[in-house]
Amino acid sequence: MPSLKISRRSFLQGAGGVAVALPLLEAMVDSAPALADSLPKRYVVCFGGQSLGGDGDPLHNDYVPNIIGPNYDLKSALAPFADHNNVKNEISVVSDLWIPSAEGGPVPPGGRVDGFHVSTLSPLLSGVRSSSTRAVSNGPSSDQLMVDVLANGTTFRSLVYRIQADWYLQSSPPEGHMISYRANGSGNPIPIPPTTSPRLAFNTLFGNFTPQDPAEAARQEFELRARRSVLDLVRTSSAALLPKLGRADRVRLEQHYDEIRALENRINAIPPPQTGTCQKPDDPGADPPIGGAMYDGDGQIHYDQNLGYSDEEQRARVFCDLIRMALTCDLTRVVSLQFTTFQSHMNVYQLTGQTFDLHELSHSAGGTLEVSKGIAWHMKHFGYLVAKLRDTPEGSGSVLSNSALVFLHEGGHGRDPSSGLRYSAHSTENMACLIAGRAGGLRAGQHVVAAGMHPANVLLTAMRAVGYPEVSLGEVAGEIPGLRA
Amino acid sequence: MEPRRAAALTFALIAVGCNGRSDLTDYTQVNALVGVSGARRLSRTEYDNTLRDLLGDTTNSGFGTLPPDANDPFDNDYRTQLTSPGLVEALESLGMSAAARVVADPAKRAAVVGCAPSGPGDAGCFRDFVTRFGRRALRRPLATDEIQALLGLQSFSREQNDFYTGVKLVIQALLQHPEFIYRVEVGTPVGAVGGLYHLNSFEVATRLSYFLWGSAPPDWLLDLAAVQRLQRPEEIRSAAGRLLEDDRARARVNRFHALWLGYHQLPHSAELTRALQTETAALVNKVIFDDASDYFDLFQANQTYLNDFLADHYGLPRPGSSSFQWVSYGASGRKGLLSHGSFLSAGAKFNDTSPTQRGIFVRTRLLCQQVEPPPPTVNVDQPPTSPTSNCKADRYAAHATVGSCAACHRKLDPIGFGLERYDRAGHFRTTDDGHPECPISGDGRIDELGAFNGPAALEDLLLASGELERCVTTQLYRFAMGKQESPDEAVLIGQLATKFHGSNRSFKQLLLDFTSHETFAYRRDE
Repeated sequence: MPSLKISRRSFLQGAGGVAVALPLLEAMVDSAPALADSLPKRYVVCFGGQSLGGDGDPLHNDYVPNIIGPNYDLKSALAPFADHNNVKNEISVVSDLWIPSAEGGPVPPGGRVDGFHVSTLSPLLSGVRSSSTRAVSNGPSSDQLMVDVLANGTTFRSLVYRIQADWYLQSSPPEGHMISYRANGSGNPIPIPPTTSPRLAFNTLFGNFTPQDPAEAARQEFELRARRSVLDLVRTSSAALLPKLGRADRVRLEQHYDEIRALENRINAIPPPQTGTCQKPDDPGADPPIGGAMYDGDGQIHYDQNLGYSDEEQRARVFCDLIRMALTCDLTRVVSLQFTTFQSHMNVYQLTGQTFDLHELSHSAGGTLEVSKGIAWHMKHFGYLVAKLRDTPEGSGSVLSNSALVFLHEGGHGRDPSSGLRYSAHSTENMACLIAGRAGGLRAGQHVVAAGMHPANVLLTAMRAVGYPEVSLGEVAGEIPGLRA
Repeated sequence: MEPRRAAALTFALIAVGCNGRSDLTDYTQVNALVGVSGARRLSRTEYDNTLRDLLGDTTNSGFGTLPPDANDPFDNDYRTQLTSPGLVEALESLGMSAAARVVADPAKRAAVVGCAPSGPGDAGCFRDFVTRFGRRALRRPLATDEIQALLGLQSFSREQNDFYTGVKLVIQALLQHPEFIYRVEVGTPVGAVGGLYHLNSFEVATRLSYFLWGSAPPDWLLDLAAVQRLQRPEEIRSAAGRLLEDDRARARVNRFHALWLGYHQLPHSAELTRALQTETAALVNKVIFDDASDYFDLFQANQTYLNDFLADHYGLPRPGSSSFQWVSYGASGRKGLLSHGSFLSAGAKFNDTSPTQRGIFVRTRLLCQQVEPPPPTVNVDQPPTSPTSNCKADRYAAHATVGSCAACHRKLDPIGFGLERYDRAGHFRTTDDGHPECPISGDGRIDELGAFNGPAALEDLLLASGELERCVTTQLYRFAMGKQESPDEAVLIGQLATKFHGSNRSFKQLLLDFTSHETFAYRRDE
């Protein structure tokens, strides 16, 4: 069965932009070996809003393996990697990372201000030092830098999703909601609000896939034609509206019209042939309802009543399935998947049985082993995503062979420069992160100790593995030695 | 207070300057009072309200699908609104499904279409529908070429031999139209002052209805706009009065209070959350609408609205019913909204109330002061500790001994300690949770206002301060304009606060005075 996917758009460009019949495309797919170099490369960045250890616990984490190199041991935070036929063989752990802190002085390059929360956002995602504890990035995030390298021609330049459905903290303004930042015309990073609805993601990604049933296909053909007419009508309203507006409103509305035009292009894109591994996923159904506010930690109250929880378990599974298929069908080559927000107040009772939110897990007396249960929930779904990509054949390997995925954690564990405490979750000492995929000679299933290096070095390694030409990310330069063959 | 006098003086000058006439001719003066504004996207709540009123669609489909609004504390700050691929995808998807729901429901679609088609190609009925619904959706009459473009969608009706196919697509198109999603104001430039614009009547209708209802203007309001009857302040005032008669105004005023005082979401079980919100909404409705009494009654009421469940929660006498009834607070020491569990739930931290957070809340929300965030070197995720005591008062006293912390915490923590006998769900207590050896005195103080003990005494202090009228006016202005005021807008807020004070603090009068203020029909370019 032909399993190779080629870029439809680049193929069509080569064919003069003319829509072609499926058999020709299939014929080209059958000549797979000749096209080995044209297999799409993918870049995925994931984030979990937690540090690795608990306050006051001398144990920095239950995450970093004892064994260095291959066949590393799984501690409790990474225990889910034993599943899916030992998916740990596809995932490398990079340990002994850090983000330098200001230590009362100026913030160093790639560093952070001393106050912890959200201070890691900018250096972690963009490699550029933070200047405050506000949730802003001072540089474009790695995924949006990769859009310019990888996405050209794919239907979706990037997917920006978040699993945690709400901020959940009642009386403070939302922080840490966004992990993707693109550079605007003036080079300033602008956040991209994530899609939090799996239902919407499904509709958007697969709404124009042709159903097998002829009657359904005819109905859908009609609907697509109607949608195009509708969007065309909506977009052309700009001609009358924009000239009437003042400068600020014109910019605001122009950006919205640009997004409408981009949506039109996505809808006009020819859906990929559903052959081999590219298939429309099962309909995920309605989104789970959004839960209410969460106490900022608690040991007793009503954890089973949907407080601070919107069935993120199901949301995570659906998003991972959708991302897997979007990558397989080459609908996109860049994904940003935020599992939880910075300083996440998601209630974990339904997930781990603990009567806390993620943030309080780090600060309550439970210590590092309790924190690790929260991390392990993230790992369960990350492992699932990696396994799905591994099990999706492509060319002579799998989709995973042509991908680079990174999982970032908000913090490490160790000394907190603001309090001076030695064993604090408010620390960027002893950080670690994960890298998966085999694109660009990435070595899978390794534990690599990268003393003194920065999480952005891991991002850069993954970026370069899928074709990023630069030698630095923000203010952080160089790859992690030993991660690529 | 100095600023208050200055504000009143400016108002007097303007009142003289316009000779009692409603249309100002001195645009320099009006320009000084009009705040800048920009195109505002419907919040998730406004989107859902609007679909309800335009289509009879009560699914609240926007809430879980549109990107979340940033509540800080209001959900409509247009300067934080960003467009994105996810936003336009959501709007398309929501528009398609809402339109499909309408045409699948014969009663709803008849109401929306407004005429009975003779067949799939009934051009007259289709044109009537497009013209009428287009005006409701975009909140202005459609131009001829806009109508023409929408009529083109009827070709899909003929193709499918179904009149309502085209109806669905027209709805789908209008629900994605940027002038539906954004409240765009253009107006007419006035005077020699650059950047000042007089809104047209339809723009005034939209401002009014989204301010007072959080939803689209009804047909009668658009009809007034069509005959230019929303230009003069007394015309706008009369329309505002009519909007205030509707239950949607009650819901909107309640939402303002819930966002302002932090109880639109509560960290409690669904049952307790519902009960607490019912209690507070009942008091807001009673003071502002049913009794239309002094707004300060919101903070002075000696009765509250309880059922047996909520009475048990508070330890107050049961009304003897599962339905809500007004019950006297008696000698419980409680009074007014600040004694409600809804308000007392705000700012919990470390498995308990946070005196610091409550202090910040009182200063920022009720006194409209700025509280600077802690310096980035401070760890706010660990409760204060004391080497000698487990009692909360002693632990927080440690703050006051650390030089760099003391200055701020002295202004904050004592306020919270004045509420400390009420836990984070509004239960009364006299000792620290889990520490019966740690008595709670309940003594608090606001440095510049004085000492108090408990929410009732705090309310007395706030009312006597003379600050609360100004602050609630400021908060209302932020909610109305979808942004933080700039310093020059403080003059207008001062004028409104003075009027509020002079009207025996009728909140309805405040709403009417704002909408009929000379500035309401103007905008200034950003």
